[in-house]
Amino acid sequence: MSPLVLVVLLSSLGLGTAMTFASSHWLLAWMGLEINTLAILPLMAQQNHPRAMEATTKYFLIQATAAAMILFASTTNAWASGQWDITYPSHPVTATITMAALAMKIGLAPTHFWLPEVLQGVSLTTGLILSTWQKLAPFALILQVANYTPPYMLTALALCSTLVGGWGGLNQTQLRKILAYSSIAHLGWMILVAQMAPQLTLIALITYIVMTTAAFLTLNNMDATKTATLASSWTKSPTLTAMACLVLLSLGGLPPLTGFLPKWLILQEVTNQGFIPTATVMALSALLSLYFYLRLTYAMSLTLFPHTFNSVTPWRMTAKRPTLLLSTTIIMTTCLLPLTPSALTLLI
Amino acid sequence: MTPVQFSFTTAFILGLMGLTFHRTHLLSALLCLEGMMLALFVALSLWTLQTEVTNFSAAPMLLLAFSACEASVGLALLVATNRTHGPNQLQALNILQC
Repeated sequence: MSPLVLVVLLSSLGLGTAMTFASSHWLLAWMGLEINTLAILPLMAQQNHPRAMEATTKYFLIQATAAAMILFASTTNAWASGQWDITYPSHPVTATITMAALAMKIGLAPTHFWLPEVLQGVSLTTGLILSTWQKLAPFALILQVANYTPPYMLTALALCSTLVGGWGGLNQTQLRKILAYSSIAHLGWMILVAQMAPQLTLIALITYIVMTTAAFLTLNNMDATKTATLASSWTKSPTLTAMACLVLLSLGGLPPLTGFLPKWLILQEVTNQGFIPTATVMALSALLSLYFYLRLTYAMSLTLFPHTFNSVTPWRMTAKRPTLLLSTTIIMTTCLLPLTPSALTLLI
Repeated sequence: MTPVQFSFTTAFILGLMGLTFHRTHLLSALLCLEGMMLALFVALSLWTLQTEVTNFSAAPMLLLAFSACEASVGLALLVATNRTHGPNQLQALNILQC
């Protein structure tokens, strides 16, 4: 892809998200979402490969339908109340339709089926954009609509997402599918507190983006898309292999790492509000996710697959890939837990 | 619910139902999407006419422009999947599941 086209596409991506962030009118928010979708499609389809084409088609159908549903809900709301403001209290029915469409856009559980397949079809870099940057614009809308949606719907979405994210990842050997299911589970945690404490949703979103960026960049650096490739990653970069284990455990939410921060705060908030069974199910479903992260860690650090290694010392060569973002996000993924008080002071 | 509101709501929901349940050809899915967007176009234009908000009169055209972009992207993807997957049956899009 020529640099000029790439620049246009990437700046359109930024423009779409910025429009949705800045708009208070439903039509402009919808236009931002549409620009976002239209700009990512050529990036996904740039390799002329059946898998990439299929992923692009599926992504397009889902996103276009969801965007049309959002606009339909807001139009109905405007017919009923004459208001186009996003922050204006909307009718519960239209708020429910909007929330369902937004859930479909980010891939929450009853409507999650497209996410693993689409991520499987695109390259790791595009997958990184899909699972981080593309979630921002819908989340800006979710945080504003969540106040008017029925609370049971949010809880049902959250429980369904964490359970499905945990169960779905168990049987996978493809790393991109595992990351997609991990994304579904994390989104479930975020949506749980979208009404009770939107600040916690924001903290969870930020940490999720940092951790997922680290995971995708690590896999990109190792050229790994299968679990079997991870087993030989120690020959390329032993340090990165060790850190990748920590990144995966941080995604799983183990205590000394950053991933524990959002889970801890969300569980505390949910318990304080008195939803003990919900909190219990969420905490237990985190174990399901932890199982497949641990399995990846195991494949990376403790097993030696019966491969023939052509050489065991490629790590002596200097790596040519830029690793600034990789090292920054890995440090943030592993060491941010002590900053919890600052995060609480800044955001709550 | 006024008759106008009822008619565009029904049109939209019919389009959505077609997209959801009639999964044979990619082209019919794209046509259903277009139908949904046209229902929205009618809804927006009639809202403008009914409430006489002149500020809003450009909105239906913006919607139409975006839906035209979407339709062209959809047709481009139709051609692309036709070249990679053979005939444009939606059932053929199954190489990513496992």
